[in-house]
Amino acid sequence: MTGHVLRACDVTKVYGGTHALKGVDFGVAAGRVTALFGENGAGKSTLMKILAGIEHPTTGRVELDGRPVELVSSRDAADHGISIIHQELSLCPNLSVQDNLFLARELRGRLGAVDRRTQRAATTAVLRRLEEDVDPDGLVGDLRLGQQQVVEIARALLQDARVLIMDEPTSALTAPEVEVLFRVIRELTGSGVAVVYISHHLDEALDIADDVVVLRDGRLVATADAAEVDIRWIVERMVGRDQDALFPRREPVLGEDLLTVRDLMVADPANPDRLAIDDVSLTVRAGEIVGVYGLMGSGRTELLEALAGRIAPASGQVELAGQALDGSGIRERIGRGVVLVPEDRQRDGLVQTMSVGENLSLAGLRSFVRGLFVSADLERGAVERTIADITVKASGPKAAIGSLSGGNQQKVVIGKALLTGPRVLLLDEPSRGVDVGAKADIFELMAAQARQGLAVLFTTSDAEEALHIPDRLLVLARGAVAGEFRRGELTREELMSVSDGGAV
Amino acid sequence: MSAAPRPARRLLVVLSLLATGSLLAACGGGGAEQKAATQPSATSGGTAGGLIAIITPSHDNPFFKAEADSAKAKAEALGYETSVASHDDDPNKQSELIDAAISRKAKAIILDNAGADASIGPVRKAVTGGIPVFLIDREINATGVATAQIVSNNAQGAQLVAQSFVEKMKNKGNYVELVGKESDTNASVRSKGFADVISQYPDLKQVAKESANWDQQEAFTKMETIIQKSRDIQGVIAGNDTMALGAVAALKAAGLLGKVTVVGFDGSPDAIAAVKAGQMHATALQPAALGAQSAVEQADQYIKTGKASKEEKQSIDCELVTAENADDYGVFARK
Amino acid sequence: MSSQGTTTARVAPDPPQPPEAAAKARRLSLLNVAFELRAFIALAVLIVVFGLLSDSFLTVTNVITMTKHVAINGVIALGMLLVILKGGIDLSVGSIVGLSGVVAGELLQGVALGGVIAYPPVWVVIVLCVAVGMGVGLLNGVLVTRFNVAPFIATLGMLYVARGAAMLISNGATYPNLGGNPALGNTGFDLLGSGRPLGLPTSIWIMIVLAAAAVLLLAKSPFGRWLYATGGNERAADLSGVPIRRVKTIVYVVSGACAAIAGLIIASELTSAAPQAGETYELNAIAAVVIGGAALSGGRGTVRGTLVGAFVIGFLADGLVILGVSTFWQILIKGAVIILAVMLDQGQQRFKRRGAAASAVAASARPT
Repeated sequence: MTGHVLRACDVTKVYGGTHALKGVDFGVAAGRVTALFGENGAGKSTLMKILAGIEHPTTGRVELDGRPVELVSSRDAADHGISIIHQELSLCPNLSVQDNLFLARELRGRLGAVDRRTQRAATTAVLRRLEEDVDPDGLVGDLRLGQQQVVEIARALLQDARVLIMDEPTSALTAPEVEVLFRVIRELTGSGVAVVYISHHLDEALDIADDVVVLRDGRLVATADAAEVDIRWIVERMVGRDQDALFPRREPVLGEDLLTVRDLMVADPANPDRLAIDDVSLTVRAGEIVGVYGLMGSGRTELLEALAGRIAPASGQVELAGQALDGSGIRERIGRGVVLVPEDRQRDGLVQTMSVGENLSLAGLRSFVRGLFVSADLERGAVERTIADITVKASGPKAAIGSLSGGNQQKVVIGKALLTGPRVLLLDEPSRGVDVGAKADIFELMAAQARQGLAVLFTTSDAEEALHIPDRLLVLARGAVAGEFRRGELTREELMSVSDGGAV
Repeated sequence: MSAAPRPARRLLVVLSLLATGSLLAACGGGGAEQKAATQPSATSGGTAGGLIAIITPSHDNPFFKAEADSAKAKAEALGYETSVASHDDDPNKQSELIDAAISRKAKAIILDNAGADASIGPVRKAVTGGIPVFLIDREINATGVATAQIVSNNAQGAQLVAQSFVEKMKNKGNYVELVGKESDTNASVRSKGFADVISQYPDLKQVAKESANWDQQEAFTKMETIIQKSRDIQGVIAGNDTMALGAVAALKAAGLLGKVTVVGFDGSPDAIAAVKAGQMHATALQPAALGAQSAVEQADQYIKTGKASKEEKQSIDCELVTAENADDYGVFARK
Repeated sequence: MSSQGTTTARVAPDPPQPPEAAAKARRLSLLNVAFELRAFIALAVLIVVFGLLSDSFLTVTNVITMTKHVAINGVIALGMLLVILKGGIDLSVGSIVGLSGVVAGELLQGVALGGVIAYPPVWVVIVLCVAVGMGVGLLNGVLVTRFNVAPFIATLGMLYVARGAAMLISNGATYPNLGGNPALGNTGFDLLGSGRPLGLPTSIWIMIVLAAAAVLLLAKSPFGRWLYATGGNERAADLSGVPIRRVKTIVYVVSGACAAIAGLIIASELTSAAPQAGETYELNAIAAVVIGGAALSGGRGTVRGTLVGAFVIGFLADGLVILGVSTFWQILIKGAVIILAVMLDQGQQRFKRRGAAASAVAASARPT
């Protein structure tokens, strides 16, 4: 394909020991919308950050108009006509809308003072184009999330970019706002702007796209004309295997009720006036895998953290095999057999300054203590057994945790939990940001634990996982259970509808 | 001493504050001979004469504490109310304390200042505000501002103690000099005073000259290291008594105590005790109490008559304390 | 461009590294070893340079004397190491040194019990002083863990509180003659500073014993592992069931105890206790820990490194005194050494990251 304005050539990016991108060739053409697809952790955001000058490729180069260019910063990229709308909002909530729009590129009037009058006029114009009624001098922090996202989009538009990268621009927008955005995108491509579009909403992205590109595990696996493909084709390429291999069939042998939750209410730790979990009851039996499907903010993380003893519930009971767990903390619950694999392994799961072996043994350390000290033999034996059992690819127990890939790091976090000898295993988004191979290993690991009689409760925001992994699925919406289903009872569309609270 | 509150009670109170008080269960008793002669009373004395503000460096140095205590005692004896404060050698804090004295309409300020140049402005501010200032212990680099500047004669004291040192050394031998904080004028004035005398005796050889920051532990460590370099040392002359006592501890550890002549400066109670015990040969006593009392008397005169009774610059000679006369001296004053 | 087929689902085992990449990784790891040993190298350089410049530097007695000087900072630094491993800082240790000495002085002067003056034996004095240090440390810990005061602020406050307490107890004066009186049965305090069991000063033995205990604690005990985990990632440690509050409190208690022991050694060496003893010692202790390669952000640091750091600072100071270098230069050189040590540490971290990236690229350089 020729006529690429901006092109990444054979780009590789390594973080620590993890390959985010492996030899990717990716180009965007003027006047076209290129939709980029891939699962979490496939490398989409990394690739976009490299094109926008925020990250630098470990190897490979970026070409602009066919000539190699070194983008040293996002400012530098902007000077070359490349703008990015971030997945995470990058606005300063303490500044006004116009201050944010012109941040670091303020218009200067006489004597170098900021020319607020011209700035305000430009702000009003761009917001009118986006059909958003926002006061240019109002604080960004006072706007609702969707409006903030519009401001973010407006900032990129103001830069008259030749290449506009949109990483999940619509996650907080209402349907009418999305329509306006699409109209604006069409106007932009009509005037020759190249647009890269990333969205979890596959249908929406396919709708606006001219070209389709699929990334998987840091590699570019497919490109196509948008008119020639459908969502099924895209999903196949994203997942990279037929779904039966990824989601093994299993016949659960169910035992007694191990985990029982009744009428649980949990206040939102970030905003105590609001309930993160509103009257949830559930049970998990020995040998059973129960899934909790929920979107961001549905309360899935708070639910598991309350069960693990990290946050204290406002009311309700939690029982382990009929014994009340109420009032006990993390440490006591681990001692009694309830352990959590947290969602964010970097922040909550791993100690980066410790080795693979030390991370593995951390939670179960008590069982290796003989007298005053940790028995090195007991610990080494257990760690080596675990590394073999859960197939962690590492040079040995002494390897630095940062030298492992995301999937292997996640296995270490799970292995750490298993070394406490749990009866109930809680996993918060266990497949987030790991490659497909590791994902299958992790599901197999969960199944193996269930076979040994553990009760497994995990959360997911991936519909395919939710439909195929658990024996029973709870759909969580706004802190409450919106529905409970057995495997095979639900289609993808029904799941979406239920998780949105039954309405679109 | 018997009227003083018992230190053990203070210990108890302080430690209870630190949540460890239950470890100790007693108060009263224990004599502490080295304690300051006068204890500040909880309430100030008569109020007839008005307020006299007494501002000195930190009381963690017994010299300044003696100075402040005797000024306070004298002023209260003369019927004044007093306020005692420490500027901790911080010119800014000194300025604030003077502001406070002005706003409280003090009749006079007795000040041991926080810097020869940095203190001129604040002193002038007080004088402009109608409050006479009587400087003690340290001068400022201006005349005609303060009503009096009563300082002990550091150069004379240094020469006095150096002369005694030389005589004890019989005009020859190797000696070490420990200098005070090198940014402090008194450190260099004293060091020069030592040199003025010792340089006349070519057989007295300085083998090391180290700053120990007026600090006992630092003097101890440095002296130990110097002894490692050579044990052939017959004398130690220190810029203050604290450092001299640090040197004494190091000499003791090295088994050289009694073979080395140690002299200091200040006349602190600890040093006088060491002189009595034969561990130190001599020290130059700065009559802190005398200077402070004199300043209060002059302030009293000035308040009553409206004019200065003496010329501005006054110097008080230091006194040599050796084993012969050590019994005659108390806390920075002749008994 | 046509769409490519699917790639293999499982990641293949790492192929052998190409030779040039392997050589690069080897070079980086050699540099890494040099960085790892940098404190030792610095110490060796100091010893060689001073040994060449002065005959009296490398004598047995001088090395023992210098080690005795190192011991005071070394003991404080061991406590500081634990706090820094946790990701905290303890600015109050210098004041605890002063407070501990003053309490010892006060107790050796005699305590009145119901009208009778009791003279506690020296071991009681020592136990009580260490208890006072632990008490101050406990307050630090409670402020940090229960009241969520930032460690810098909490211990800065205690720096003043403990110093003020020392001044109050002593009324600003120095306690002289702590040798005790045979008639009262409280002699022996001076042996802590001037005793020489088996030919080495007591303070060196104290440092050796405490260092050995610290090594056992950090390397072998569950507490050590908890401490490294809490400092490396407090949230992860918490979720792993580590009692992080207890860990965080204990390190301040230990640090306070170490500082109190150092205060006892100083008071014993001088056989007098001044309330202003130990001023700025916290900075020397932090410097020793940092020169020893510990990260102020927590989770990284060793006993060995900290002791070497203390030796670097102590030998440097004493060596410069032996050479007769001016005080002003001594201060400047000490500062330069600290900065250099931290810069090298940053360099090492960068090299480690680069080494990891290099070996990862080498591992992935397979034919496509």
